[in-house]
Amino acid sequence: MGLSLFLIALTARKDYLKKVSLVIFSIVALFAIPAYTSGHAAASLIAAETEAFPEIVETHQGAALMAFLFMQATGAFAWLGLWQFRRDSRPAKWILPAVLFFSVVAAATLALTGNTGGEIRHLEIRPEQETLSFVAAAGTAIFASTQRIVLLPSRWGGTWPILETLHFLGLTLLFATLGLLDLRILGFFKQLPLRPLVRFVPWAIAGFACNLITGMLFFIGMPAFYNYNIDFHLKMFGVVLAGANILLLFCTDAFRECEQLGPNEDAPISAKFLAATSMILVFAVLVLGRYMPFFEESLTPF
Amino acid sequence: MAIPLCLRTIEETSLSMWIRDTPSLFGYWFILTIHAIGMTMLVGASAVLDLRLLGVAPDLPITPLKKLYPMMWTGFWVQVISGLLLIIAFPTKAFTNPLFYAKLGLIAFAMVMMARLKKRIFDDSSLNDEGMMIKGRTLAMWSFVCWIGAMVAGRFLAYTFTYLVYPDDASAKLGQFLDFISRL
Repeated sequence: MGLSLFLIALTARKDYLKKVSLVIFSIVALFAIPAYTSGHAAASLIAAETEAFPEIVETHQGAALMAFLFMQATGAFAWLGLWQFRRDSRPAKWILPAVLFFSVVAAATLALTGNTGGEIRHLEIRPEQETLSFVAAAGTAIFASTQRIVLLPSRWGGTWPILETLHFLGLTLLFATLGLLDLRILGFFKQLPLRPLVRFVPWAIAGFACNLITGMLFFIGMPAFYNYNIDFHLKMFGVVLAGANILLLFCTDAFRECEQLGPNEDAPISAKFLAATSMILVFAVLVLGRYMPFFEESLTPF
Repeated sequence: MAIPLCLRTIEETSLSMWIRDTPSLFGYWFILTIHAIGMTMLVGASAVLDLRLLGVAPDLPITPLKKLYPMMWTGFWVQVISGLLLIIAFPTKAFTNPLFYAKLGLIAFAMVMMARLKKRIFDDSSLNDEGMMIKGRTLAMWSFVCWIGAMVAGRFLAYTFTYLVYPDDASAKLGQFLDFISRL
């Protein structure tokens, strides 16, 4: 849907439509996170329950990882485009073609994923001999080699603690920059004008991206730890809500009004509401993240 | 090297045992969560000031950022209290790890930097933003580096310790280590 709207927008040369489709791409990329992780959990359940089809499940997961990666790339470029629309009122020339390219590839791999997914439950359409498609094979290979790197051991703990440290640095950067912006909108630090604070938004997004990447590496490293953890799935849901909330905050008229605020001026109530929910959501994600080991194996399927 | 017996005494107090072993939601993981929230307040507030002094968001007036200091100090005391509780839970683990002292040193150094920064740029009303940036740049850079160092050290504390609790003998120590590894 986002892709077709984007194509219409590109041919009609309407900036408004382009922006809407970029927002859709960003939100779809966010929703892809729990879709991928919960799908992985479901697939491992099916494999365990039926004690069969490991090959088709593997094919499905390989294709799913590829689709996920291309969707995240689409989302990242879409966000960059949105940011440039906001800052310079038009994005760089290469952004829209990049979004188009990645969204087309993502749609293709997604179709492939859906196709193999259907074959898991519907035996009648399954071909006799299952051949791993090239895309699925690539996804499976990427998954395996990434897992090996993430679990690389050493005397002081290996790759894992390095990723965890980056995860913590990323969250601090996100909380520091987004937190100050949210607090100002809510009415704290009132002597600060709001417009210059917007310069911190790319830093917040950098923190979010850092945590998305390191977080996915954790998941690929030890999927069994996360698949059966209720806390983890709640956290992924929280990430979607928090991400969509931040996107909404910056894309609505409420924020456009906010941007003009000088010192000691009050933000509109709608912006205050979005700032408050974004604070609550990011802290909820932090709390759920810290409590994760407490809920290990909280989902027992058998 | 002999490990001070007082560490075992702390471990045997009911508070220490409760934090370590309670199945309650408000035990060890709760304190760790508070420690993480305190970190976002303390390091987050410091980082914003540091970034501004290092040139990010150049249009942002610096003087109102003085109000970040109460948040920093609130975060600091949250960290002291939650940190003390974590030490009470695992004193041997903390005090037998050299990295723990490095973390404390880095935090102390960073806090001194933040205090000096306040004195140097906020207590001097003759300075404009440009002057504040010139006078505060070095302090901001060093405190930023120290905060990152403290966080790296803090995170690695969970992976570099020799003893999780006071060792009874060599086999007990090995057993605890294997138990910990298997839980990873």
